[in-house]
Amino acid sequence: MVKPVVRIDDLRLEFLSQAGPFEALKGISLEIGEGEIVGVVGESGSGKSVTAMNLLQLLPRTKINVPTGTISVLDHDVRAMDEKQLQKIRGGEVAMIFQEPMTALNPVLRVKDQIDDVILRHKDVTPAEAEEMSLKLLADTKITDPRRVYESFPHELSGGMRQRVMIAMAFSCSPKLIVADEPTTALDVTVQAQILALLKERAKTTATSVLLITHDLAVVAQLCDRVYVMYKGEFVEQGVTKDVIGNPQHVYTRALLNSLPEGKAPKSRLATVAAAMIEGDTSNVIEEPIEQVTRVARTGDTLLQIKDAVVRYPKEYNLFGRPITFHTAVDHVSVEIKEGETLALVGESGCGKTSLANAVVGLNRLASGEIIYRDKNILDHEPEIRREIQIVFQDPQSSLDPRWPVWQIMTEPLTVGTSPSKAELREQAADLCEMVGLEASQIDRLPHEFSGGQRQRIAVGRALSVRPKLLVLDEPTSALDVSVQAQILNLLLDLQDEHGLTYLFISHDVAVVRHIADKVAVMYQSKVVEAGDSEQVLTAPTHEYTRTLMNAVPSLKRAFAA
Amino acid sequence: MSSTAETVPSDDQPSRALESLMGPLVPVMHQLTRLVVLLFMVTTLLFFMLRLAGDPALVLAGNDATPEQLEAIRAQYGLDKPLVIQYFNYMGNLVQGDFGKSLASGEPAMGKVLTMLPATLLIAGLAMAFSIIVAIPLGAWLGFKPERADRRSVSGIIFVFQGVPGFVTALIFIQVFAVNLRWLPSLGMEWGTIIDWAITESFSIPIPVPSKTWILPAASLSWFLMPSLTRVVAANTAEAMREDYIRTARAGGAPASTLLWRHALPNALLGAAALIGTQFAFLMGGAVITETIFAWPGIGWLLIESTQTLDFPVVQSLALCIATLVFSVNALTDLSFQFLDPRLRTKGN
Repeated sequence: MVKPVVRIDDLRLEFLSQAGPFEALKGISLEIGEGEIVGVVGESGSGKSVTAMNLLQLLPRTKINVPTGTISVLDHDVRAMDEKQLQKIRGGEVAMIFQEPMTALNPVLRVKDQIDDVILRHKDVTPAEAEEMSLKLLADTKITDPRRVYESFPHELSGGMRQRVMIAMAFSCSPKLIVADEPTTALDVTVQAQILALLKERAKTTATSVLLITHDLAVVAQLCDRVYVMYKGEFVEQGVTKDVIGNPQHVYTRALLNSLPEGKAPKSRLATVAAAMIEGDTSNVIEEPIEQVTRVARTGDTLLQIKDAVVRYPKEYNLFGRPITFHTAVDHVSVEIKEGETLALVGESGCGKTSLANAVVGLNRLASGEIIYRDKNILDHEPEIRREIQIVFQDPQSSLDPRWPVWQIMTEPLTVGTSPSKAELREQAADLCEMVGLEASQIDRLPHEFSGGQRQRIAVGRALSVRPKLLVLDEPTSALDVSVQAQILNLLLDLQDEHGLTYLFISHDVAVVRHIADKVAVMYQSKVVEAGDSEQVLTAPTHEYTRTLMNAVPSLKRAFAA
Repeated sequence: MSSTAETVPSDDQPSRALESLMGPLVPVMHQLTRLVVLLFMVTTLLFFMLRLAGDPALVLAGNDATPEQLEAIRAQYGLDKPLVIQYFNYMGNLVQGDFGKSLASGEPAMGKVLTMLPATLLIAGLAMAFSIIVAIPLGAWLGFKPERADRRSVSGIIFVFQGVPGFVTALIFIQVFAVNLRWLPSLGMEWGTIIDWAITESFSIPIPVPSKTWILPAASLSWFLMPSLTRVVAANTAEAMREDYIRTARAGGAPASTLLWRHALPNALLGAAALIGTQFAFLMGGAVITETIFAWPGIGWLLIESTQTLDFPVVQSLALCIATLVFSVNALTDLSFQFLDPRLRTKGN
């Protein structure tokens, strides 16, 4: 290897808090060569972002303790540098790209101010020259109208546009190294594909090294020359991407790969990270074979029919507060679900899939069209039918009341219209806990005492409390780590088997949809563009958009085929 | 992502034609309509509430008036008619710009209020300006590194100040600066040039001349406003400093001063603007205690006097005046939001 751009040696790092120090990095070593794209992959809490932030000493120095280790970036010993010296490197020789383009740009400053600032800080140029450079940089990121973007405020741009601005800003001072922390996680897949291609292209043409932090193995496979697998503050495995992903050595890497739905038989049980590993002990984990079950395919009569549904939101109001123009979120959509079956609505953000889901559970009114549940219009029989249709939301962090104990959260639907005694409710909650794989003894705890996956189990339990027939699952796994996603997918499939549930599954993730759904409807710009058996739609798509979507999804298989 | 926008045909075509004609004036019309509705409601409510509070004829005639005298007065002022008729008469006069005459002095009621208004606007404006000039830099400094020992002690002192009632500060100021040090006068104000105004009836609005007497009332009033404003600026700055865009700016090599003044503070001012609006609206009702302590001839003082003597036309005029002022301040606050936050600016403007 040529002279490394970054060299981290035996770095240990603790966060100081009143509860005592927390060891975030347990002696990591890493090297990035010139022009190399290196990935660090791991789940939340593994310490991958800490590694990235610490490279430029962006963590508050008073709140961390670094017992051992050296970090050398471009031959600078960054740990020995003071703020003034660091400011010269930051944005100059080393630039960063962050995850959430929504919040990573200052909302009250125009793009031009934010990019020009960085250039003027590091280069000896006039403001006019800086402007010219910024416009060139924006054009380099394949923005077709750089002038408009340059003059815009961040909120006037789409997520993908904002991330292009971030990339332009990162490349503005011809850095030697770019640290990209989950640069595409908040983006739609088709946009993600463009941004990843752009990042790779810019890095290769300018011979810039990249440190890519991500949770997504497929993104690593697509982009990185080498990869480090991070787990609980350690690199458990490292090497050339193809070797690590094609032939994983460490038990954690294998568990992570096996928990991905991609390439597994539809509806099969997915591997999850073993319990011992969750405790942080990988020394001694025996990989248990995954116990497979035979899923009964039971398709009954039509349970739910959505006929010509239209959902509109008011856009502008007149002087008297009456809406005059509308945004059509769902445009004459018709789908149907048979009992015991899973229908997935796939699409990117803003395509109308959540608006439709909300209409099914009665959170939205239809502007026209009807929703028929077992031959009855849901509007005419609402109270009875509402009990039979329940919903699980995307983010269990915010969809559970933080001040309510679990038993109360789970049994709240049971108290609508009736008032069972507290003892009855607690008993019900204990049953529900067992159903969704939680300990019955945990019913007095508050949501923050649970992990993300457990919280999503609570949300599923709440939906099941009234024994519904149809569950609307709105992106139930997209806020979760992949190994946790596997647990929830297993749970949903098991519950469907046991109780003959019908699912309306909303997702943007094609691999997840292929795994769980019988039928698929692809939504694009408020309309269903293609629908049918999931296997057929996802392997031989006929609509242009479905093909674009399928090609954009980062895939391990395709990354290696290339 | 392209959004599908469409116009749904509806039956209110005329109003939409009107809107396209008015164009940019629509928001202004909107606000004016709201103001008229507000004033109508305030006047109506106050009219009936004040009549419940007492009989104006008794106030006019004095305590030892004979029944005959009372009758005469009622007839003279139209108080013998049914309440609803009185109400319509009153509203009819209002629409024509006749706000009635003060029961106590016989002067035009609105004239009396407008005479007192400049004094109140003066100290309110001074106090507000002084409070803003101190609170924004101080709050920014506190919020930039709130965990530091020096900031924590200053925050503590400000917290204590916030707990001291306004009249206590005023009295201490008088004791120290007027009585002990004899630097500043403690009472009254000087009137200057008199401007004659004629709306429906002519009255005079005096303009106060700059004077040392302004300092103590304005200072004690701003002493009351400053702590809460400082704390809001500090809290918002601290919150802004934790945002992702600060991390982006740091990663771009921005020094601490840029982070604070260019990135964090403009975002923190959004919250401060809301509080400044509320504080100013509050002051428009007259800083009653401050005006009383310093014998400051403002509308707060007039409010007390006219309520005590049941001088209905004056109270009504005050209410109209204060409601209009509060409304204007709120409208200005909304405007300032659009100035401070580009996300609130309507597209196309």
